Amino acid sequence: MMKNKLISIPVFLFYFLPISGHQNKDTTNENTGIVKISFVNTIKGKPVELNTARYINPFAEEYSVSKLKYYISHVSLAFNTGIIKEDESYHLVDESKADALSFSFAVKAGTYHSLSFMLGVDSLKNVSGAQTGALDPLNDMFWTWNSGYIMAKLEGSSPQSKVVNNKVEFHIGGFCGVDNVLKNISLNFPSALNIPEGKTGEIIVEADIDKWWQQPNDIKITEHPVCTTPGALAKKIADNYSKMFTIKKVITN
Amino acid sequence: MLWLSTMLSALLIGSADKTSAKQAVNSIPDYLEFKIPAGWPKPATDIFAKNRLSEQGFQLGKKLFYDGRLSKDGNFPCASCHQQFAAFASYEHDFSHGFDNSFTTRNAPGLFNLAWMTKLHWDGGINHIEVQPLSPITAPNEMAATLDSVLYKLKKDTAYPKLFKAAFGTAEINSQRMLKALAQFTGSIVSSNSKYDKVQRGEATFTYSEQNGYTLFKAKCAACHKEPLFTDNSFRNTGLAVNPFLKDYGRMRITNDPNDSLKFRVPSLRNVKLTFPYSHDGRFYSLGAMIDHYRTGIITTQPNVDPLLVNRIAISNTEKNDLIYFLNTLTDTTMTRNPRFAQ
Repeated sequence: MMKNKLISIPVFLFYFLPISGHQNKDTTNENTGIVKISFVNTIKGKPVELNTARYINPFAEEYSVSKLKYYISHVSLAFNTGIIKEDESYHLVDESKADALSFSFAVKAGTYHSLSFMLGVDSLKNVSGAQTGALDPLNDMFWTWNSGYIMAKLEGSSPQSKVVNNKVEFHIGGFCGVDNVLKNISLNFPSALNIPEGKTGEIIVEADIDKWWQQPNDIKITEHPVCTTPGALAKKIADNYSKMFTIKKVITN
Repeated sequence: MLWLSTMLSALLIGSADKTSAKQAVNSIPDYLEFKIPAGWPKPATDIFAKNRLSEQGFQLGKKLFYDGRLSKDGNFPCASCHQQFAAFASYEHDFSHGFDNSFTTRNAPGLFNLAWMTKLHWDGGINHIEVQPLSPITAPNEMAATLDSVLYKLKKDTAYPKLFKAAFGTAEINSQRMLKALAQFTGSIVSSNSKYDKVQRGEATFTYSEQNGYTLFKAKCAACHKEPLFTDNSFRNTGLAVNPFLKDYGRMRITNDPNDSLKFRVPSLRNVKLTFPYSHDGRFYSLGAMIDHYRTGIITTQPNVDPLLVNRIAISNTEKNDLIYFLNTLTDTTMTRNPRFAQ
């Protein structure tokens, strides 16, 4: 009984405070809505099933996916006369966590026509010491022996892989000089997204994981089951996966 | 109902405000100024710019540094390889001991004057002092822990939440705070009071041999071991044979650049008497053996041998002895015996 009461107080506070915050904003700022950006990771048009599903890559190699994570940062939305940038914009998309497949932030009410973001973590954050939130090294996306973030991670297995336990392991990183794998992605909406005041506009981004294997570079599991250091191979894989995103649809809720 | 909820929330916010005001009074740490010794260059970047140095942050970092719970089995605190009496290197060990009877793969360097270092580790793979501990904490042949498990242990402890609150304002324990506290401790260790420093300040004089050694040092060693830090923070190939067990090619592993093959950090020579054995794999057990490498041992046919070493370094036996006398003046017992840095 006592425990229930204790829990109800913070929940109640939480409920109340945002409303007063919102009212303040309305009187002083422009009208705002919310944009929600959702990522759907797919292979052959179907959402990725971790561990259980068997997939065939373009080179007829069979593989499964056990881990799929990537950083989305510096998110911005464009309207006709300008752009809106998210503050402190760092998100880790993680296929294994339902709450790590989308994020939301407040934007000026209006009509938007494209989404831009960086795939990865900018060089400055790679050299600025211990970070927290999405960039916390606890997320297992930070190299401890060669400081820097793993920008994207794909792990699984394949009978074509000759390394231990038939592993397939791509940890793609590198933020400076010739090893830089950072990618700026810009995606136009199929139709304009209207976000009226107080409403949520949702952008559903599809990431086709099959794109990791080719275009422009052929990555065959028999040749390259593992890539866990910055360098030429990581750059080739990043060139491929930079083309995995499309806007599936935009919806005004 | 609305009226009631407004009243209730006003009440709650009121009391919350009071509590936070009280917390704020209690939890402002005592900020410290990081002092740069007179005549020393300013560090290239200020490691405390986004990690404001405080007494409480330093003390928390010190407790973490000496706490075995940062390792998997409790036996390997940072201090197990970084011993104060050895200028925070591993005394008399080529490789240090890690979890489950394992060896490290490189010689543990002394920890001092880190605020002036732009990159850490023998290969320069670590680009910021705050992220360095992630490497030994998680390496299976060092502390062998996971960040998760370490934070779990710290959160369960009765003392740590209070210490984190004193250092950072709230009791929250997270990896960022743990790493920043460790950096406050290790980054504060400055070695600037050796006999050499006293001579520079006019408080002591070299003996005849020490002075000869210093003159020789300036002529033949100081290009890489640049005063006053006794390193230029560069990476160089000193013509060492590749260790057949480790096959350690140094900086090339970090940069993927064949020009960096067999390049390793130029270590500071401060406290060099205490940090033996020498070189990245501790293959030289004495200063004499290390100097002999530069006199006769450099494999000059290796590609990438540093241009300053392609002809080896001509040092006579007398000069070698004088050089050792001089190098011994770089020992700073003020630092190695300072209770402020001790457990």
